[in-house]
Amino acid sequence: MKRFRTVAATFAAVALVLSACSDDSESMDETTTTSAESTFETISDGKLTVCTDSPYEPFEWQDDDGNWTGFDIDLLTAVADEMGGLTLEVIDQPFEGIWLAPAAKKCDIVGSAMTITEERQEAALFSDPYFNADQSLLVSADQAETLVDAASLAGKTIAVQSNTTGETYANENFTDSTIKSFADATALFLALESGQVDAALQDLPVNADRAMKNTELAISATFTTGEQYGFAVAKDNTALIEAVNAGLAAAKSSGDYAEIYKKYFGVDPE
Amino acid sequence: MSLSKRQRANLLRYFVYAATLIALALLIFIVDWSKLSNAMFKWRIIKEQFPDILTKAARNTLIFTFFGFIGGLGLGLILALMRLSKVRPYRWFAATYIEVLRGIPLLVTLLILGFGVPIATGWTWPNMYVQGAAPLALVAAAYIAETIRAGIEAVPRGQMEAARSLGMSYSRAMITVIIPQAFRIILPPLTNEFVLLIKDTSLISVLGVTEGTRDLAQFGRDGVGKFANATPLVVAGLVYLILTLPLTQLVAYMERKAKRVRR
Repeated sequence: MKRFRTVAATFAAVALVLSACSDDSESMDETTTTSAESTFETISDGKLTVCTDSPYEPFEWQDDDGNWTGFDIDLLTAVADEMGGLTLEVIDQPFEGIWLAPAAKKCDIVGSAMTITEERQEAALFSDPYFNADQSLLVSADQAETLVDAASLAGKTIAVQSNTTGETYANENFTDSTIKSFADATALFLALESGQVDAALQDLPVNADRAMKNTELAISATFTTGEQYGFAVAKDNTALIEAVNAGLAAAKSSGDYAEIYKKYFGVDPE
Repeated sequence: MSLSKRQRANLLRYFVYAATLIALALLIFIVDWSKLSNAMFKWRIIKEQFPDILTKAARNTLIFTFFGFIGGLGLGLILALMRLSKVRPYRWFAATYIEVLRGIPLLVTLLILGFGVPIATGWTWPNMYVQGAAPLALVAAAYIAETIRAGIEAVPRGQMEAARSLGMSYSRAMITVIIPQAFRIILPPLTNEFVLLIKDTSLISVLGVTEGTRDLAQFGRDGVGKFANATPLVVAGLVYLILTLPLTQLVAYMERKAKRVRR
């Protein structure tokens, strides 16, 4: 979960700013959307080329046969299809500065579980948010109905990962619980499975992934933090981002989005 | 040119001194001291580490070490005696125990015992101190058992024979004659064990830490995250040194005393 941590550490402060102005970030496109059928160009005809930093389960990775899979990949495939039947082409690119890749004509768009931040918005044009990087509570499946909030976890022990947004969130919102920090996700899940802790509080995708693999665990609650993921294109490529946003909206209304969300996170989108 | 032996030895010594001085000078010029002190010795951050690093973190490290060592010493003595026993199953058990616990990394043992025992039995560890110190003691016992065995074997055979011929039973001779002498022999390696154990406690944090049970290393790591600077880790390292120095001095004193007694 390296990236979560980098994101968490670097942008913990920015997240506050972001949540304060997240409404603005959605209306960053100029309000003069003249025609719905804007003409956009891609670097290779008939294809939407995406830069992603793989592997990063459950957002993007290659399965045993080398096929690209993951939440970002599936969602972008659906979006590309809505954009006039484009097919998806994937390029693996290190995460450092990945949002600059479209401007360098390496790809059309970045889809890599990337948090929308002010800093990145200065260098790239972001789509509408497509994923809320929420915090979540993972508990033993038979307690999924009871351990759902700070009150029900009073006097109990909550596991968090050291130096993450989850740890900060727990310390601020679960003041009546014992917060136990783990440097290592392996040990954190073992502690939960062995009953040494009552719940694990961390990024929803990480917990969801575990809940999917171990049916004795379940997510009992999610908490909004204001951190959101977006796709990014070159700063001046307004035509493309409008098409992507339209495709995203279409995928949401057609139910494709919900289906993909459920496939990778095991729960319905909020 | 002919030099006497002493002249040659002196020349060599001057050469070593000069080389050391040049190396030191180079170090002073090469190292970017302001950058280094900015990254690792920020006075403002050093001050913030106290007093918690002593009253909480060092205290926890010592608690883990103390229980780990006491448990390891007791169990290690039993294992050493089993290893030297005439009863074969005892020998087998002790040998297997020592090989297994010595061969598995402490980190893995901590995870297996810390979480495996609750999964297997449904019993949960009462608190972090027991959960952390028990595996530490079990592993320390394996090492200490071998040290004690070597010490017992180093006591001259005549000691046991003399004690037995005076009418002592085997176990009485062992307890009153052999083991006291063995411990005098193994004092230095036993100190080594203790010092290693102090530092091994830094692995316990893999089992998770609460505000009250953070050990020195974890305290330093959390400080690095909090201040975005390596200073807390350096301070933690120095506190480890402060903990071990008095101990090694104490043992050196005990050794000197033991030598006087023997003369």
